Amino acid sequence: MFNRFQFLFQTNTSREKQMRAAINQKLIEMGERERLKELLRAKLIECGWRDQLKALCKEVIKEKGIENVTVEDLVAGVTPKGRALVPDSVKKELLQRIRAFLAQHST
Amino acid sequence: MKMEDVSLSSMDNSKMEGFAQEILSDLVEDACLGLCFEVHRAVKQGYFFLDDTDQESMKDFEIVDQPGVDIFGQVYNQWKNKECVCPNCSRSIAASRFAPHLEKCLGMGRNSSRIANRRIASGNNTNKSESDQEDNDDVNDNDWSYGAEKKAKKRKSDKVFLHSLKQPVHLVSLFYCYRCSVCS
Repeated sequence: MFNRFQFLFQTNTSREKQMRAAINQKLIEMGERERLKELLRAKLIECGWRDQLKALCKEVIKEKGIENVTVEDLVAGVTPKGRALVPDSVKKELLQRIRAFLAQHST
Repeated sequence: MKMEDVSLSSMDNSKMEGFAQEILSDLVEDACLGLCFEVHRAVKQGYFFLDDTDQESMKDFEIVDQPGVDIFGQVYNQWKNKECVCPNCSRSIAASRFAPHLEKCLGMGRNSSRIANRRIASGNNTNKSESDQEDNDDVNDNDWSYGAEKKAKKRKSDKVFLHSLKQPVHLVSLFYCYRCSVCS
């Protein structure tokens, strides 16, 4: 009996993974992911996030030197702060859209 | 207990929320990476620091906010009260009247030859009544009012000609219609 529950649990999670993969695919195929990307990009520029991050990049560049700075340096130096600096309003708006999409296409 | 019937609707809200957060996280990460790539390319291609100006230049071109002077620091009404000496008649003319005066004085420009011709014509026809009309013309008449006395003659022929024209000569007809004051 214990085994059966375990089996059920495993089926559920693998089905869950299947579902997630299916939704992700739909997101891409229907062009929604691209639209969300554009929306996010526009919002981030509007709220000054992009400029803030550019300033952070400048610091990394001055630290490492123009000649030697690599993409990895920039990514490592800037991404964690970048995630934290996204304003809540922007996050909210995007989450709304994502949830709406999930609700619409999750059967 | 059928295991095949498990659909996503049984995926509860917290999982959906988690999934949505994950998607958002991916999107933000994409945005960050995109920015890093752009910046890196700009640095390597040498155009990243182009829009920075040094302090010295910033000071040179600062906006000026004094009375009597425009934002570049130039005095903008310094030609108001100046007078110029005409090289032709050696008279002292106010700066704003200088260009029209030169036109008449040198006998160049659109008005001067017409007015001169008219004066000659009126000088020969002192007995005819038309001369009164022409003598009353002001020196400062512009081009458009010169056409006034020719209006009566031109109007009829223009009207017939213009309004039977098709679309393509619209611009030309506008020009003419201004002169004979007929709208089209």
